[in-house]
Amino acid sequence: MKKILYLLLSFAVLCIIVFLSACSKDKTAQNPTAGLTKISEGYAIGAGAKVEVYTKETSLTTGYTKFYLALYDSITGKRLDDAHIHLTPMMDMGMMQHSAPYENPASTDAVNYLFPCSVTFIMSSMGGSWTLEIEVHNHANDKEGSITLPITVAEPATSKQKSFTATHNGAKYFISLISPTSANSKVGINDLEIAIYKKASMMSWPADSSLTVAVTPEMPTMGHGSPNNVNPTHVGNGHYKGKVNFTMTGLWRLNLDFMSGSNVADTTQYFDVEF
Amino acid sequence: MKSFFFLLLLGSYLPGLAQNNNNSLSADSTRSILLSEVLVSTKARSDQQRMLQFYRSNQSSGLEDILSRLPEMSLIRRGTYGMEPAIRSLSGGQINVLIDGMRIHGACTDKMDPATIYIEPINLEQLQLQTGTNGFINGSAIGGTVNLKTATPSCHTPNKISGTISTGFQSAAKNFYESMQLNYGTGKWSLRGTATWRKSSDYRSGGGERIAFSQYEKVNYSFSAKYQLNQYNSIKADYIGDNGWNIGYPALPMDVGYAVARIGSVSLQQENPGQRLYQWSAKLYANQVRHYMDDTHRPNVPMHMDMPGTSLTYGVFTEGMAKLNNKQQLRVVADFSATRLKASMTMYEPGQRPMYMLTWPDNRKDQAGIGVNWEYRADSNWLLQSVARLDFISTALTSQEAKDHISILGVTDAGRQELLKNLSITASRKIKPWLKSSISLAYAERMPTATELYGFYLFNAQDGYDYLGNPGLKPEQSLQGEFSLITLGKKARLKVTAFYNQIRHFISGTVNPAFSTMTIGANGVKSFSAVPHATLAGLETSLFLKPLPQLDIVSTLRYTDGNDNTGDPLPMIAPLKSISSVRYQFNPFFLQLETELAAAQNKISIKYGEDRTNGYALLHIRSGFPFRLAGKETDLQFGVENLFDKHYHEHLDWGNVKRQGRNAYLMLKWFF
Repeated sequence: MKKILYLLLSFAVLCIIVFLSACSKDKTAQNPTAGLTKISEGYAIGAGAKVEVYTKETSLTTGYTKFYLALYDSITGKRLDDAHIHLTPMMDMGMMQHSAPYENPASTDAVNYLFPCSVTFIMSSMGGSWTLEIEVHNHANDKEGSITLPITVAEPATSKQKSFTATHNGAKYFISLISPTSANSKVGINDLEIAIYKKASMMSWPADSSLTVAVTPEMPTMGHGSPNNVNPTHVGNGHYKGKVNFTMTGLWRLNLDFMSGSNVADTTQYFDVEF
Repeated sequence: MKSFFFLLLLGSYLPGLAQNNNNSLSADSTRSILLSEVLVSTKARSDQQRMLQFYRSNQSSGLEDILSRLPEMSLIRRGTYGMEPAIRSLSGGQINVLIDGMRIHGACTDKMDPATIYIEPINLEQLQLQTGTNGFINGSAIGGTVNLKTATPSCHTPNKISGTISTGFQSAAKNFYESMQLNYGTGKWSLRGTATWRKSSDYRSGGGERIAFSQYEKVNYSFSAKYQLNQYNSIKADYIGDNGWNIGYPALPMDVGYAVARIGSVSLQQENPGQRLYQWSAKLYANQVRHYMDDTHRPNVPMHMDMPGTSLTYGVFTEGMAKLNNKQQLRVVADFSATRLKASMTMYEPGQRPMYMLTWPDNRKDQAGIGVNWEYRADSNWLLQSVARLDFISTALTSQEAKDHISILGVTDAGRQELLKNLSITASRKIKPWLKSSISLAYAERMPTATELYGFYLFNAQDGYDYLGNPGLKPEQSLQGEFSLITLGKKARLKVTAFYNQIRHFISGTVNPAFSTMTIGANGVKSFSAVPHATLAGLETSLFLKPLPQLDIVSTLRYTDGNDNTGDPLPMIAPLKSISSVRYQFNPFFLQLETELAAAQNKISIKYGEDRTNGYALLHIRSGFPFRLAGKETDLQFGVENLFDKHYHEHLDWGNVKRQGRNAYLMLKWFF
C-alpha cells in the first residue's frame, strides 16, 4: 500500500516538473502574434517591407483601436524590428474626407517584433469607407515607402466612442473608452482608461489634456452606484487613467463629467459596460 | 403504575453543592436541562422532573419553544421557523451555539438558519446553557454558550429494541408532527435512530388573519452507533441530517427554497483512564450546511434573485476531567476548528446579463483554543471556580474573486489574526442552610463574525439598510459580573440573578453616506463599526413552589436594559417578561394553566428602525394522561395555547408579524 503511495507521489512530482519546464520553454518560443487577429496585410512599396496589421479583437468596431504592426523583409521574409512608421487614417464620405485621431508607434524599435499603434475610428464604415495609410521607413535598408489598406469598421453593440460640443469653447471633443471592456471587467476595482481628442480641423485631431474628468458609475436597472471610484487624470497623449468599481456583474453605466478649469465642458456623456 | 416522563435537571453542574441538596439550583451560571426519555414512576417523581412540563409544555413543539422558556434566553424571530437564539440579548457571534461541543455555522447571510434549527428535541439528551461569565470554556464568547447535547444510544434497555412513536397536530398552522425513535442495544453494540417530519401551513394569528409565507416543511433524521470497547472505553459515531424546504419568512422579502445540514462526528470516550484523570474524550467532526433563498413565490418582486450559501466546518476537540486532590478539580478543553463560508446573490433582469455578486466573499476562519475550568472547594460552604480560555483565530478571504470584492471597500489585506483572552472567577457561599449566594466576575472577548468582517451589501429587513463588512474591526471586549441568591427549600425555591455587562468595541452598524444602496428600496448603507462601549444589565428570577404534593407552580421573570455609549437603547432587547405555570396532578391526568405576560417595550432603538411594542397577556391550558395502548405505555397530551386568541407580537419579532392565535393541539406518544 505504502509503495503504491510513494509511486503515485513521485509520479505527481515528475508531472509537475515536466509541466513547469514545458511552460518555460513555451514562453521563449512564443509567436509574437499569438492570440491576435490579422486584419489586413500588403507590401509597403518602396520600403521593401511586407506589413501585417493585427488587433486583439476579431473584428474592428468604432472607438479606440489598438493595432500591432508586424514588418517582414519582402524578399527574405525575415521579421523587421527597426522602422519608423507613420499612420494616416482617412474616411472618404464622397462629399468630403476627414482623418481621425491616431497614435504612431512610440519608438522605431519593435516590441517583440511588433509595432504597437492606434487609430480611433470616430464612425463606422456605414457612412463611407475607411482607409489606413501606413508609411514605413525601413531602417534595415534605409528605404521608405507606404501602403494604403481598406479597413471595415462596424458599430459595436455598446458604443465605446462618443463626442460632444463643449459648452465652454464650442469645440468638438471625441472621447473613447479604452478600459474597462466587457471582456476585462470584474467585480472589484477596475482600471479606467479613456482617451480625449479635440477636432482641430478635418485633418487634425490632436490629443487633449486640458479637460478634467469625473466618473460616476451607476447600474441603471438597480439605480445604485459604487463606492471609492478614482476620477481619471491625464497621463499623457490624451489618455486619462482612473479606477472604477463594480459591486456586481451586469450592466453598468459610467457617467462622465468634463470640466475645463471651473467651466463645465459637458455632463451628458456616458459609456455602458455589460459583463 | 409506571409512566414515562422527561427528566429535567437544573444545575447539577457543581457536584458538591448540588449534593448537599439534590434539588437545589447550582450557584453558577449553568443551566442544564435533561431531555432524554426515561422511565419514571409517577409516585417517585423527582422534584425536578416537573420542570419538564414547564420547559417543554407542548411536546410537539420544536427546540425553539424550549429555548424561549429559559429566562436567560430570548429569540429573534424572522419567521415561524429559524428563530435566532439570544442569551441576555447577545446573539450571533457573541454567543456559542454548539451541537455536542461541535461548531456549526449557518449558511445564510441573513441569519435565517441558526444551528438550532438543524436539531430536533428528539435528537437531544440535554440542553446546557451557560451565561456570559462562565460561558466561554468551549470558545471565546462574551454572551455565553448553548450546548445541545445529542442523545446517546443505550445498551441498558430492558428490551433489545425499544423506542417511541409520536404524532401531533396543531390547529393554528395545520401543523403535523410525526416522529419516531428506535434504540437497539446488545452487550457491546448500541444503535439509535430517529426520524421527524414536520409540515406547517400558513398560520392564523389572533383574530383570524392568515400570515402569508409562514409555512414550512422539514425532515430530520439521525443515526448513532456506539461500541463499548471495554469497561471504560467506548467509541461512537453520530450523524444528523436535516432537510427543510419551502420555508416562509413573513418578515423578510424572501423565503427559503431549501436548507440542508449534514452533521457527522466520531468520538472516543474513556472513563477512569488514569489515577487523577477520571474522564477523557475526543471528537472529530465535520458538518456542511447549504441554504438557498428564494423569492419565486412572492408577488410584486421588483427583480427575481437567487441567494445560495454554503458553510463547511470541521474540527477536533478533546476534553479531560481530573481530580487534583480532595478539594480541587480541573477540566481542560483543547480544540481546533476550521470554517469555510461562501454566499452569493444573482439578480435577473430580462434582456440583460445576470447581476452576480458575492455576499459572503469566500472566507475561512481557523481557530485553535484551550480552555480550563478549575474548581476549589475550600470547605463545605465555600467554592471557588475559575474559567480561562485562550483562542488563536485566523480569518482570511480565500479567493481572488473575494479579494476583488472587498478591495472596493478600500481594503488591501483583509486577513486577520487575533489572540482572544477570557478569564472569570466565581465565588459561591452557602450563607445559611437555606440560602446560597454566588458572585462572578469575568473578562471575555469575541471575534467579529464573517458578516461583520466581510459582509458585502447584506440587506437587513429590520432597519432597511444594506450592511457592509469592516475587516478592520477589533474584537469585542466584555467586562461582566453576575450575582445570584438562591433559597433552598423543599416546598419553595427562589433564584434571583442580576447581571451587568459592559462591552467595549461594541459592533454595530453606522450609516455610511459615502456608499449608495444596492438593494432596491433600501434606506441606505451601514458599515459595521465599533461603538466605544455598550452596557447590558438585567435580572432573572425563577420561583418554584410545591405547596401540595400534587401541585407545582413555576414562575420565571426577566428584565434586561441595554444602552450604547450615548445612552440610546440597544436594539432587540426583550421587555419585562414573565411565564408562570400552575399544574395540578389529578390521577391519572393533569391540568396545567400557563400565563405569559410581557410588558410594553418603549425603550427602542430608533437608529435601528425599531418601533414600540405593546405588552400582552396570554393564557394557555394543557392536559394529558397516560394509558395503555396495545399493551404499551402511551401518553396523550392536548391543550389550547393563546386561549383568548390575542392579536400580538413580541418586541423581537421582525416586521411586527403577529404571532399565532388560538392554537389547539393534540399529541400522542407511544412507547415500545
